[in-house]
Amino acid sequence: MKSILRLIRRYVGILLLSCVLLLALNFIVLAVLVAGLTPNSHPWTTAEEVANALQWTGEAYILPEEVLSELDESGAWGIFIDNDTEQVRWMTEELPESIPLSYTVSDIARLTRGYIDGYPTFTGEREDGLVVLGYPRDRFWKHMWASWDYGFIANLPGTVLTVLAVNAALIFLIYMAANAGLLKSIKPIVNGIQSLPQGEPVHVREKGLLSELAQKINQTSEILQSQYIQLRRKETARANWIAGVSHDIRTPLSMVMGYAGQLAEDAHLTEEERRKAAVITKQSRRMQNLINDLNLASKLEYNMQPVNLQKENMVAIVRQVVVDFINMDLDDRYPIEWETKEALAICQVDADRNLLRRAVGNLIQNCISHNEQGCRIYVRVAAAGESCTVTVADDGVGAEAGQLEKLNNAPHYMVCDENTTDQRHGLGLLLVKQIIAAHGGTTLIGQSPYGGFSVELTLPMHGFSLQGMGAVTAQ
Amino acid sequence: MDGEYLKSRRILLVDDEQELLDMVVSILKAEGYCNIRTAGTVRDALAAAAAFRPELAVLDVMLPDGSGFELMEQLRREGGYPVLFLTARGEDEDKFKGFGLGADDYVVKPFLPRELILRITAILRRSYKGENPLVKLRGSEIDFDRAEVVRYAKGMKDGEHISLTAKEHDILAALCRNAGRIVTIDALCEAAWGDNPFGYENSLMAHIRRIREKIEADPSHPVSLITVKGLGYKLVTEER
Repeated sequence: MKSILRLIRRYVGILLLSCVLLLALNFIVLAVLVAGLTPNSHPWTTAEEVANALQWTGEAYILPEEVLSELDESGAWGIFIDNDTEQVRWMTEELPESIPLSYTVSDIARLTRGYIDGYPTFTGEREDGLVVLGYPRDRFWKHMWASWDYGFIANLPGTVLTVLAVNAALIFLIYMAANAGLLKSIKPIVNGIQSLPQGEPVHVREKGLLSELAQKINQTSEILQSQYIQLRRKETARANWIAGVSHDIRTPLSMVMGYAGQLAEDAHLTEEERRKAAVITKQSRRMQNLINDLNLASKLEYNMQPVNLQKENMVAIVRQVVVDFINMDLDDRYPIEWETKEALAICQVDADRNLLRRAVGNLIQNCISHNEQGCRIYVRVAAAGESCTVTVADDGVGAEAGQLEKLNNAPHYMVCDENTTDQRHGLGLLLVKQIIAAHGGTTLIGQSPYGGFSVELTLPMHGFSLQGMGAVTAQ
Repeated sequence: MDGEYLKSRRILLVDDEQELLDMVVSILKAEGYCNIRTAGTVRDALAAAAAFRPELAVLDVMLPDGSGFELMEQLRREGGYPVLFLTARGEDEDKFKGFGLGADDYVVKPFLPRELILRITAILRRSYKGENPLVKLRGSEIDFDRAEVVRYAKGMKDGEHISLTAKEHDILAALCRNAGRIVTIDALCEAAWGDNPFGYENSLMAHIRRIREKIEADPSHPVSLITVKGLGYKLVTEER
């Protein structure tokens, strides 16, 4: 809507400005023309000059030669009427024959205002009489009855301004009337275009001047919507497919794990046979973890996993995961060091407790899975300003710098849309990244100061966000 | 195992996969459980329940003629015995639904035999207390029913009876349910003070100290209630 108002303002502004400019230009051109075309066009002045130049020699009146030649050039004739006798006492040589040589007062009044026998006349006064100049009939047109109401002349500036304002208003009204139809059809189209990027379904009425444009917008919206629905359907189908496979595989895997677990503890079997059964159990366990991770990762990827953020104590969440691992690790091959400062009892974050447990659990499991020989695991929760970091590190085999770079930046095969076989790193880490990203946090994989592998999770504290530095309203 | 008195409890297993039923039966039998009945459908399960009067039901969620959640509600109407779900449905919503309806535990397939046995034993122990619920520690015993500790000084046959406060009882009960395992500070605070127990760490330490004074021969060198620095506490019980 804002853009339409801007559009109207702009166009009306341009229109008014051009009118004013045009008017001013016209005045200027007129003035130039009037001044330029008739340089010798001041017959009243000429008449005054002649009156002043006319000299009485004692016997006769004489006009100096240069003034006389000026009159000749413009084809004018002149006479001098004496005050006392009301007779013509001087005249130019080419005086038309129809010009009388004696004047009454009413004659003088008429010639002053108008013409003598069709010749436009102009007068110049002297003490002893009146000089009258006559010009060719087609030289001047005289307005004989000119007189205006005094009030009109006195209010002229105001009147001019009012007329200008009324004109401007009229121009505006004409413009609006002419464009109302156009604006009316532009408005829904602008609204429609503005809604398109938001992914909402758009329908613009296909009427008015721009109905063709409206039709195209509607078609675009339909295409976008159907693409969105198709994509969503495909994603849902893929997530459902993964969920279905992982569900169906659970029951057969139960039996593999169940019987292998029994065999591994069966005292009637030889040591070697029990060891083999234990390997089957262990590998089944891996498959189980893989299924769980795959399912959750696909749901997070396709936005089908609800993330229930609640105010949680990060220290408590991580502590529980650590304790669960310590309680499970019966032969103490993977001792866990709790490095969280004792002063830090509470570190509040907005989190989905189950998802975060899964993330931290995956990191610890990662240390265990990649260090067959056993290793020491270091877990730390720390609070720094607006963020909370969880670090899981180990003193195991670790990874090369190049491999770390890949883990940090290369996409996992599950989310990679290019054909390449070079991205098959752990699903567990992908899941951690996804969970942390869903919490608005970051995952950094690196070298541990203890020689092995290290992963640092950074989450915004309760009431903050990592991207925008400021506080956000608590939910 | 100390749950010999539990081994004769009647257990009903319901799953539509006969082979899985066979396996669970073999796991339970290997552990000494002998009163086991199986069913493959809701209909069979209801019939078996009426005749067998189980004391624990292990149910699958997806059954050919109905859902395990509904079956549980029907079984619960007959008798108030505990129910454990053993299912391939691993979604959190399913778990919450199961617990919300009052299930005692929820095990997602696949599972290790040991895990299932531990969970079943834990449910049975919670639901059917034995003759003597005393928990034996080194040099003392806890009697949860009477909320007291009986401490035996060296050479003395009769012990000294020391009563426990409500909070000490709750904390010890939480530790005892997980005997031999670490229980986090947060879980203990929750056991004593309820949900979202922020800021009770110091109170918990005070209570632990007082519990040690009651159960330990030398409270400054505890042997039964062990501190795991920064993480929590562990109660070490004596084998019966």
